Amino acid sequence: MSSTIAADTIEVMEQQDTDPRSAGRSLTAEEKRDIDREFSHYEDRDSVALEALRVVQKHRGWISDDTLYAIADYLAVSPTQLESIATCYQLIFRQPVGKEVIFLCKSSSCWIMGCEKLQRHLEEQLGIRPGQTTPDGIFTLLETPCLGDCDKAPVMMVGEEMHRHMSADKLDEFILEKKKHHADQSAD
Amino acid sequence: MPTITIDGRQYEVEEGQNLLASCLSLGLNLPYFCWHPAMGSVGACRQCAIIEYKDSDDAQGKLVMGCMTQVRDGGIYSLDAEPAREFRGAVIEDLMTNHPHDCPVCEEGGECHLQDMTEMSGHTYRRFRGLKRTHRNQYLGPFINHEMNRCIACYRCVRFYRDYAGGDDLEALGRNNQVYFGRQCDGKLESGFSGNLVEVCPTGVFTDQTFSRHFVRKWDLQTAPSVCEHCGVGCNTAPGARMDFSGRDENLRRVVNLYNRDTNGYFICDRGRFGYEYANSDLRIKNVLIARREQVIESTGRRNDKLHREIEPPAALEHLATVITDSQRGRRRLVGIGSPRTSLENNFALRQLVGPGNFFAGLSARDLELLHTLDHIQRDPRISIPTIPEIEDADVILVLDEDIGRTAPRVALALRQAARNNQRDHARQLEIPLWQDACVRQLRGENNPIFVLASSAPASLEDIARAQRLASPAAIVSFAEQLAARISATDQPTTTDGVDSSSTPLPDALEHLLEEVAETLLSARRPLVISGCGSQEPDILAAAGQVAAALADRHGAPCATYLTCPETNSLGLAQFFGPGEGGLEQLLEELRQRDSVDPPVTLLLLENDLYRRLPAADVESLFDRAAEVVLFDSLLQPCSRRADLVFPASATPESQGTLVNSSGMLQRHYMVYEGSGYIQESWRWLVDAVNDPACSDVGMDSPAALLRQWKHCHDVTAAIAAAVSCFRDLPETGPDENFRIEGMKLARQSHRASGRTANRAHWQVAEQAPLTDPDSPFSFTMEGVQYAGATPLQANIWSPGWNSNQAIHKFQQGVGGPRRGREPIPRLRREPTAIPVLLAKQRAGQKPGQFCLVPTWQLFGSGELSNYSDAIAGLADGPCAQLNTADAGALGLEPGGRLQLRMSGAEITLPASVSDRIAPGVIGIPVGLRAAPDLGAMLPAAAEIVRIENPEPVEPGESL
Repeated sequence: MSSTIAADTIEVMEQQDTDPRSAGRSLTAEEKRDIDREFSHYEDRDSVALEALRVVQKHRGWISDDTLYAIADYLAVSPTQLESIATCYQLIFRQPVGKEVIFLCKSSSCWIMGCEKLQRHLEEQLGIRPGQTTPDGIFTLLETPCLGDCDKAPVMMVGEEMHRHMSADKLDEFILEKKKHHADQSAD
Repeated sequence: MPTITIDGRQYEVEEGQNLLASCLSLGLNLPYFCWHPAMGSVGACRQCAIIEYKDSDDAQGKLVMGCMTQVRDGGIYSLDAEPAREFRGAVIEDLMTNHPHDCPVCEEGGECHLQDMTEMSGHTYRRFRGLKRTHRNQYLGPFINHEMNRCIACYRCVRFYRDYAGGDDLEALGRNNQVYFGRQCDGKLESGFSGNLVEVCPTGVFTDQTFSRHFVRKWDLQTAPSVCEHCGVGCNTAPGARMDFSGRDENLRRVVNLYNRDTNGYFICDRGRFGYEYANSDLRIKNVLIARREQVIESTGRRNDKLHREIEPPAALEHLATVITDSQRGRRRLVGIGSPRTSLENNFALRQLVGPGNFFAGLSARDLELLHTLDHIQRDPRISIPTIPEIEDADVILVLDEDIGRTAPRVALALRQAARNNQRDHARQLEIPLWQDACVRQLRGENNPIFVLASSAPASLEDIARAQRLASPAAIVSFAEQLAARISATDQPTTTDGVDSSSTPLPDALEHLLEEVAETLLSARRPLVISGCGSQEPDILAAAGQVAAALADRHGAPCATYLTCPETNSLGLAQFFGPGEGGLEQLLEELRQRDSVDPPVTLLLLENDLYRRLPAADVESLFDRAAEVVLFDSLLQPCSRRADLVFPASATPESQGTLVNSSGMLQRHYMVYEGSGYIQESWRWLVDAVNDPACSDVGMDSPAALLRQWKHCHDVTAAIAAAVSCFRDLPETGPDENFRIEGMKLARQSHRASGRTANRAHWQVAEQAPLTDPDSPFSFTMEGVQYAGATPLQANIWSPGWNSNQAIHKFQQGVGGPRRGREPIPRLRREPTAIPVLLAKQRAGQKPGQFCLVPTWQLFGSGELSNYSDAIAGLADGPCAQLNTADAGALGLEPGGRLQLRMSGAEITLPASVSDRIAPGVIGIPVGLRAAPDLGAMLPAAAEIVRIENPEPVEPGESL
């Protein structure tokens, strides 16, 4: 929901703030198959909502309004109910994100261990603030509450991997590695 | 009853209740937000913290949430202990960090639960200096304003909208400090109960948009108890009025719910809440109008249309008095046409004046037959008529062709609560208190069985119905007959054959359902049958009566049966007529057969738009045959074009009177404010005419002379009670005008009402003498009894420290109990008639190839008066023919096509609307629309499709 997000990050949403029943949206056969697999784990169809969002996001990177309506149609739940779930969970993206989404832990242990400094460094290196994506579309920076790895603070999570005992050097290394990785991929 | 100690005092409290509800019932002030008497506890806001002590030796105690803690016999608690006060203060300080300082411009200000609770918690100074989080607001349609910045995230809105009322387009979005209550995107809130958000929200997030346009503070509204005039349920309302400075005198500003446990509890529907604007409409009649004599030339009007000019009331009354005198001398025939949308008093006065033989119901013979069938069923001792709490208590429900969500919305909301009775039983088994709302809703299992058979898909039942089948009315009647036979089968095996053989065979879908419905109803402990006049098919009503009677016979106890009447006083009006009497067709026939020597006829038409009752040609014909038409009405409606004399009548909130709801309850509405101009009750115009000197020849022996004795509304009420035996309890609906409490009248205005002199200062600085009210014990000023605890008649729900409607708990017998001092609502005292078995008449069925035309209803669009309210008028759909998808496919109907339908004697062409929400073989026609008022008068009917006009005609003139 656009209104729940700080004003400088909502352009994408505003453009799509239109009739939910607009045409041109459907799920691919593969997405449907992946969702169908989840049905067997739950008592009823609408319980699958969160998994369905996750499954489709895996394919599309983020959940656009049209994607949301497509999933709502497929699960036979109202778009508002699905939006309620989508916006409740941090790992469901309702705006486009970069290929690497960095969740920087901002809770007390990481704060004691200098996550603020780390964040400044990251922001300088990437030229983005939390909630923003680099112009090359590779990195998105997000803040997160505790990731549960306090003894290895400061930590950050990127995709499904955890980066522990972070420092400015390790960050630089990480950025270089990721940039190279994506440069290689696009060259292929 | 458990005894508990709170702050050193002992109290007896209701067993099993939570501490918050118990404290409130005891009259103690404990702040809360998320708890609601109808929705129970979720423990979300942490505001109702109190200290619970282990025993009398425990000096420390522990902090518990009042709403989440069950009372314990012998328990020791403290509200005043410092840790509890401090905690509550901290919670509210936290909630207030994001709340804007906008009380002066906020519409909730002055009746804001958040304001009250903040005061109560002693948080009067803000320490927070940071930025507040802000939200963008959404467009939620023409009823509700959205101002999310004010939200304190108590979750009450979604708990009402989603959990209680079943809406799926309002949710909590986002998380943490950014929780947002709204829709996925801008758009009208789809639930027909969205208006309750205004009252449910403890602060100003959801406010009444219609009220915004002419806003005043609650303390400046003058109010009195009223009854909603927009359907037959008879919800109690508290309309608020105030002097307007635009030259319109007083006008109606808003309508809110008035708690009455038996009719509406805490909630009303949106038609009732937002339909009030008709009373402020530009079409209101405020002066007496008389038709101009001169011929109308070059006018856009239709044939026989009359143009009117204003006339002073004495001249008009003299004319009316002359007509009355003439009728007494046999030189004129006075014919009265009554109305189902106005009080018994108005109808009775007209009947008394013209005599019962000249009084007609203002309904078609078919509408009257429907009401009489309904009345007949209700008289049977085997039928009991449930109150709203009794409906909520039902365990198995059968709905027979009644779109209850649109014809009696408040009842549909009660059905939604009944659907959860299994869940409640389950909770009881697990010893979970029912007020533990989130826990109880968590329990899985099937809803209570609700079986819905309808010709068009009813609103707001689909998601809770165990089975919903669309079928033609004939099939539904047949189903119900066979069901009744099956229910009574084991007792009287011989009677089943007769019924079965005469019935049409059922479609497979119904045949399979029959066994399940019969078994489920038989095993029910509190079965409920729902039907009504919505199908306009007496057979449906009769069949519903049969099922209920069969169930009652088997259970040996009356069967709860709710049958809806279409209008606010339909059932009351019907009591004036015997079966087969009083229909408009009968009047038309009498007038047609009139000899030229017979005296000319003057039609006295009471608050009724006849174009909604009969085909337009018949109405014209009726007017053509009358020498003169006198109309009493509040609005310039289509009939006023044909009236020679028009008297301005008061709207429901401008008058006192009695209405009979679909349950036969007699309810009085009081005048909230004096109508502007010459507006007064229709009965008063009649009394004024009879008292005119031109009427002095009317002898004391004439029935019309009775009108001379009426000075106060209660006089009319008493006269009705004396004249018509089923109304003999009418005087119990309320006290007469002499009622006083300690010598005082009841104040319509609050003790803070402002502007008494300033209100009129633009034309008169001297203070005006206040208006006097000859009819009721209410005063029009702030003088008198204001406290709602002193009498259940006080509609201004206010108590010190409780400025919002939440104050109602101060005046209830226990949370959710009846209002203190309120007697049970008197009902019609009808002679019980043991109906043997109402055998449905098999009407002339449709021939092959014909479609069955049935009426369909709109929440916004089918109500006569609400259609004159701006917010509602904009939502009404246009006339159309609703057709099943399969039928449309078979007919080759394309989107945007039109259908020409031929019934016996009439042809209509309507745009088609294709969906799966209508039964195959059935065409639904929306009725009651302002654009096409008389469509309903032709239904139900068999019709054939003469022509299909597709948008780009492939074969023009194709005939089927």
